Amino acid sequence: MSIEFIWQLPTSGDARYADAGKTRRAERNAGERPPFTDGVSDPRGSRFNYFDYLHQVARAADLSGFDGIKIQHDLQGDESWIVSGYLARGTRHLKLITEFEAAWGSAVYAAKNAVSFQRFTGGRQAWQISRGADADTCLQNADPVAEIDLTQRIDEFLTVAKGVQTQSNFTFKGKFFEVLEGGFKGPLAKHATESIYLSGSSEEDFSLSARQATVHVLDAAPVAELKPAIAALQAQAAKAGRALTIGLRVDVLARETNEEAVHDAQRYLEQSGHLAASKPPLSGANLWSSFATTRSGALATLVGSYTQIEERLAEYVHAGIGSFILAAEPALEEAYRFGEHVLPSLRSRFAEAQRKAA
Amino acid sequence: MTIDIFWRIPTHGEPSSHRGRTPYRGDWFPGNDNIRKAGLGGGGQDGFSYIDYLAEIARAAEISGFQGGLIPSFPMTDEPWAISSILARETKTFRFMIPFQPGFLNPVVAARKTASLQRATGGRALYNIITGGGGPSQLWWGDSVGHDDRYTRTTEFLDVVRGVWKGGPFSYQGKFYQVQDAGLAHPLSQEEFPEIYFSGSSDAALVSASKHADYYLTWLEPFEQLREKFRRVKEKTDTLGRKIQCAVRVDIVARATEAEAWAEVEKGFNKVDAEALRQFTSTAGDGSESVGAARQRGNRPTTVNSYRDLITAPNIWSGFNLLRGGQTQGIVGSYEHVAERLDELVQLGADAFILASTPHLEEAYRVGEEVLPLVRGKGSKQLLRKVA
Repeated sequence: MSIEFIWQLPTSGDARYADAGKTRRAERNAGERPPFTDGVSDPRGSRFNYFDYLHQVARAADLSGFDGIKIQHDLQGDESWIVSGYLARGTRHLKLITEFEAAWGSAVYAAKNAVSFQRFTGGRQAWQISRGADADTCLQNADPVAEIDLTQRIDEFLTVAKGVQTQSNFTFKGKFFEVLEGGFKGPLAKHATESIYLSGSSEEDFSLSARQATVHVLDAAPVAELKPAIAALQAQAAKAGRALTIGLRVDVLARETNEEAVHDAQRYLEQSGHLAASKPPLSGANLWSSFATTRSGALATLVGSYTQIEERLAEYVHAGIGSFILAAEPALEEAYRFGEHVLPSLRSRFAEAQRKAA
Repeated sequence: MTIDIFWRIPTHGEPSSHRGRTPYRGDWFPGNDNIRKAGLGGGGQDGFSYIDYLAEIARAAEISGFQGGLIPSFPMTDEPWAISSILARETKTFRFMIPFQPGFLNPVVAARKTASLQRATGGRALYNIITGGGGPSQLWWGDSVGHDDRYTRTTEFLDVVRGVWKGGPFSYQGKFYQVQDAGLAHPLSQEEFPEIYFSGSSDAALVSASKHADYYLTWLEPFEQLREKFRRVKEKTDTLGRKIQCAVRVDIVARATEAEAWAEVEKGFNKVDAEALRQFTSTAGDGSESVGAARQRGNRPTTVNSYRDLITAPNIWSGFNLLRGGQTQGIVGSYEHVAERLDELVQLGADAFILASTPHLEEAYRVGEEVLPLVRGKGSKQLLRKVA
C-alpha cells in the first residue's frame, strides 16, 4: 500500500504560531518603509516578493520527502496555474496539484495547457477541481452559474479535457462545453493525463468522483465518522470498475511532546480570535475542530506529539485513506519538522506492512 | 521615442537552419510525430524536454538586447501561459508576449493569472490578443461563437479584465460577461496592466482594437499596403481618443553579405518538394475566416520556378511559409539592408517589431549583434524630415 503525503502551499500568506497575524514573507508594498530601523541597512529593496517564499516552501517540501504540493484556488492569493509553473523548474519530485474551478475557461484550453505542463515537468501536474463558492462570489468572478449545474459542469469539463488528450477525433456537445473533431496531435498526443482530485460530501459528489476522480478528498473528521463515506466511495468506484484513492484534508500541529503542541495550539487559538476555550475543542483523539484558519481551509487539526500524530495518521490509513493533504503554519519550518520527525517513521511503518503483505 | 524590438520563441518546432527540416531541435517539427528528447545526445531519454531549449532561446534573446519574445500558440504547440510561468524564474529582462483568444479564459481568471505573472516576473507579461480565425478550427478549440460576435466578446473581455484590475468594485452587464462587485485582491491589484498587442485585419477587429490595444500587430505586407493600413488604424483609433501604435511581425534572413543571405534562401527553396510548391501557388483558401490570411494569399505569384520568382520587392522574399509554417513575406539581405528595410517600415508608421529567424538561438545573437545596432528607429524619421 503506497500512501502519498501532500503539503499545501500557503498561497495568500503565512503565519507563525507565536504570531497569528498573516504575513506575506519577502513581500513589501511599493513605498513601504523597510522593517528595520534607520540604524540598520536593508539590502533587499524590492527584489523579492511572496513568490520567492512560495518557491522556498515548495523546495522544502521536495527536500523533506513529501510526494507533492497542493496549490490552492485562493481568491486572496496568486493564481494557481501561474504559481504551479513558477515552481515547476525549481522542484524535482513533487506532484504539483493545481486547484481551480470549472469556471476557469475552455476545457480544451485547460487540457492543452496541462499537456505543456506534463511535457515540461515529466508528468508532475495534477488537477484539483473545486466546486466553487456561493452565488455572490461566483458573480464576482464573472461566473453567473446556477448552483444546480455545478456538478454537471465539472463532469463535462473533465470529459472534454480527457477526451481531447486521449482521442484524435473527439466531438462533444454538452450544456457547457462543445468540441468538434478535437484532439491533440503530434507532440501533444500520447501523454499520461493528469491525476484528478475532487472533493465534496453529497451523493452527487461521490458519484462524480466514482466516474472521474483519481483521488476523492474528504474533510477532516474522526476516523469513525469517515468510515461510511469511505465505504460508499469505494463501493461506487468498484461498481464503475475504477480505482479510487480516498484522500484526507487535515492540518497538523506536531511537537516533540503533547504538552508543547497543546501549548502552541492554545496560544494560537487566543491570538487568532477564535473563542477562548477553557479546554481544547476536541472532536476526536488529538483532533481539534474549529481551529484551522480560513486560509488553510481544513476543518480540523491534529494536535499532538510526533508519535501521537503518527498513530492518528496510521489509523486513517487503516480506515482506507491513501492520500493526505496536510498543512501547518508556518509552512516552511513545519514542512521540515514533519518531514524529519513524522514522515520517516510513518513511511517505514507502511513499508513494513507492505513487505508482510507480499 | 524609441522602438521596441521583440524576438520569437519557436513553439512550432525548430530545424537547425532555413535550409531544411532536419536535423531539428527540440522534440518535434510539424509533420513529424516521432517524439524525441530535446538534448542533442542522440534523441533518447536524456532527461531534457523542449522547455530546456526554449529557455536557452529566451536567455539568448534577453542577453542580445531584445525586449522579450512572442510565444506563438497553435493547435500543435505548447501553450504560452505555461511556458511563461515556467520560465519566469530563469530569465531577467525577457518580456513574455502571450497570444491568446479571449474566449478561452474566464476574464477574471485571466486578470488573476496576469497579475500573478506580473508578480512572478517583475512586470514582464504582455498580451497578444487574437480573436480567432473562425470556421471549424474554432470548434476544435471548443469555441462556438461566430466571427463578428467574437470581436464583441474580445472587447467585453478586455473591459472586464481592465475593470477588475485595480481592485474594483467593478460591475458589468455585457452580452458575454456579467460580473458584480468584482476586483482583484491586494497585492495582485498593485501591478501594472500589461501592454496589449492586438491582431486582426477586419473592420470588427479595428473597432475592438481602438478601445483596448496599445499596439496594432500585423504581418509584413507590401510596404505601400502597410502604410495605408497603419494610416487607417491610427486614424480610426485617434478619433476614439486612444493613441495606438503599430507593430510588424516579420521573419528575416540577415547575413554579412547580400549574396550569402540569398544563398541561404536558395538552399532552403531547392529542398521544397513539388507538392508543397503546388499547394503554395494554388489560390484556394484554407477554410479560415481570417482576413489577414486572405490578404497574404492575394500577394502571392502564381508561377514559381526559382526562389527569385518570389522576390517581390527589394530584400522582400515571399516564400517564407515554404520553409516553415506562418507568414509568407520576410526580409532577406545583408545586415545593412535588413536594417534599412526595418527603418523604412518605421518611416511608414511601425513603432515595434517582432523579428524571427531560424535557428532562433544563434540568430538571436546574430541579429542582436549585427542588425539591431544598425537600426536607427525613430531617429531615421527625423533625418528623413530634415532632408525633405
